[in-house]
Amino acid sequence: MEATNGSPTSKAGDWRSYERVLLPPVRDLHKLEVYKDEGGYESLRKVLNTKNIEPGDVTNAVKESGLRGRGGAGFSTGMKWSFMPEPDDRPRYLACNADESEPGTFKDRQLMEYNPHLMFEGILIAGYAMSIDACYVYVRGEYADWIKHMEKELEKLYEQNLVGDNILGTDFSMDIVIHKGAGAYICGEETSLLNSLEGKRGYPRYKPPFPAQVGAWSQPTTINNVETLACVPLVIEKGADWFANTGAEKHPGPVLYGISGHVNRPGVYEYPTGMLISDLIEEVCGGMRDGKKFKALVPGGSSTPPLRADQCDGVTMDAESLREAGSMMGTAGMLVLDEDTDMVSYLRRVTHFYSHESCGQCTPCREGTGWLENIVTRIDEGEGQMRDLDLLLDLCDQMEGRTICAFADAAAWPVQYTLKRFRDEFEAKCKASVHPVSSKTSSGIESAAPAT
Amino acid sequence: MSQFDIQRPVVELPDQDPDPVFSDDELVWTEEEKEQIEQYKAKYPEPDAAIMSVLWMAQEKFGFLPPEVIQLCADTLDMPFSKAYGVATFYTQYYKEEQGKFVLDVCTCFTCQFTGGYDILHYLEEQLDIHAGETTDDGMFTLQEVECLGCCGSAPMMQVTNGPYVHNLTKGKVDELLENLKKGELPRFTSVTLPQDEDEMGGNRRSDAETTDTYKTQPRSKTIK
Repeated sequence: MEATNGSPTSKAGDWRSYERVLLPPVRDLHKLEVYKDEGGYESLRKVLNTKNIEPGDVTNAVKESGLRGRGGAGFSTGMKWSFMPEPDDRPRYLACNADESEPGTFKDRQLMEYNPHLMFEGILIAGYAMSIDACYVYVRGEYADWIKHMEKELEKLYEQNLVGDNILGTDFSMDIVIHKGAGAYICGEETSLLNSLEGKRGYPRYKPPFPAQVGAWSQPTTINNVETLACVPLVIEKGADWFANTGAEKHPGPVLYGISGHVNRPGVYEYPTGMLISDLIEEVCGGMRDGKKFKALVPGGSSTPPLRADQCDGVTMDAESLREAGSMMGTAGMLVLDEDTDMVSYLRRVTHFYSHESCGQCTPCREGTGWLENIVTRIDEGEGQMRDLDLLLDLCDQMEGRTICAFADAAAWPVQYTLKRFRDEFEAKCKASVHPVSSKTSSGIESAAPAT
Repeated sequence: MSQFDIQRPVVELPDQDPDPVFSDDELVWTEEEKEQIEQYKAKYPEPDAAIMSVLWMAQEKFGFLPPEVIQLCADTLDMPFSKAYGVATFYTQYYKEEQGKFVLDVCTCFTCQFTGGYDILHYLEEQLDIHAGETTDDGMFTLQEVECLGCCGSAPMMQVTNGPYVHNLTKGKVDELLENLKKGELPRFTSVTLPQDEDEMGGNRRSDAETTDTYKTQPRSKTIK
């Protein structure tokens, strides 16, 4: 593969000499002492102690930095913060979303393992910007070890007056509480997270009203992802301009790429946004495992549509480029698949996941995800018929946009796009099926003709 | 019997269950636990929010959550049984039935699927002579297939009883794990080294005691051995 360093196609610029900021190479950075020695909590001090930095200025700096949420949707963080109403006598909450349950995503766990204080500092700065009274860090129940480690560090923060009443001697007070989940994918959805926090079943809520108006315990609430909040101290320390000029223009900043699957060195890598997919696979991860050919990429968690290898040519990891290619940035949890991968089997496992994790509140999703799994399983086991392909697409249409939250959409997208982009594999399985196949039954992706 | 001739309610409620697992004498909190519950309640503006923490505590104490234990949790927080029961049944990590001493949660979600998660699951089924979802006769192991545990970089992997993660599984590693568990030794917390740390720092960055078990994210062979 040709070296693409500095070529106009890579928006990440000279990524080979990039110095990490989210996970800088410092031994034992997860300990408060070390973090403070490295200049930690200086951004917070600057924000709190400088007289002319008002909460609104912090929000504006985050807006100018162009920081977009790292939890999947990619919405402008500064914009989200500005939706919070003016402070009044009501309590205001921040929820830090550490549920990280999107299959293929594991970057937040690494951040909590190696640099949790960056997240805590981000929470405090965000708290100052939005006049927050308490932040709830919702960590998925499976991360029991990481919760223990973070609670230890949080205790130190309380002891050193970095969290609690009158932080650093100012009149800004804020609490941080770590809340342990108990295993539910849907609790990563922001309104479901709020219900779970309140001690209810994790059912998503109708929007509007949005959480900024009616959130946790019906009070104004903002929900941000771990990595998003960890970017906030960097915006303060290095400036909004630095952040905006790192990586892709419309989706800037450092980002944690969680690369897994059939590559030689899977793991979490920190680079600017806008890295070429080919650079990430060939250079960063040391190429495909066992010298196999690259076949497909799931760019940002299970709900982002998979891309064929030929669709990844020249595509960079940022929202714009991936949208043009026909997918999404999601969480940047990239699953790389090699030529031996059976995409029908892949889809079967993905539909099983969604069927298992549907919360059951809305009928199209509760029933639809089960149907999707049953039909894909039928095809995978060699009992499918050609008309099943149309049935799958029809079913997706019945699910998309007809439910309270985006779960049904997230379940439908991989089905629609896997079927569209790897149709030959599905057809081959249907043709080899035990059931007789009529050639009239399906005429490709656009076919809307009812099967006979 | 006709299939419509339903003899018993689908959901067993405490007053309908003739044989509770725990007696009333057992269903009490100690003073320390009561204090802990007060601390949980103080974290939230409304006490109901502490239900998840209280259920976790009850599960640690009783091993699982039969209806009478859920009733105890509900009474503790002065909330309706139905609400507590709703929470306990919504989340997969709360055990509604008695489990083996060790619960082996093998991840088979898509990254693990394509790196051998099912091989590990089937190997465990063979070794323990049970199917996924079952408990061994001696009550030592329960084997489960679970959804993504957020550890795709070191797939295939599993979690032991809602606790430590075991990464980069091979058959040899599974044998070793089973041996240790039979001796009652739980695996320790292990820290997976970031590939960039390997290059820039020559190994794992954490030096504290709980991370003595660290290893590199090595290239893996094509088949699980």
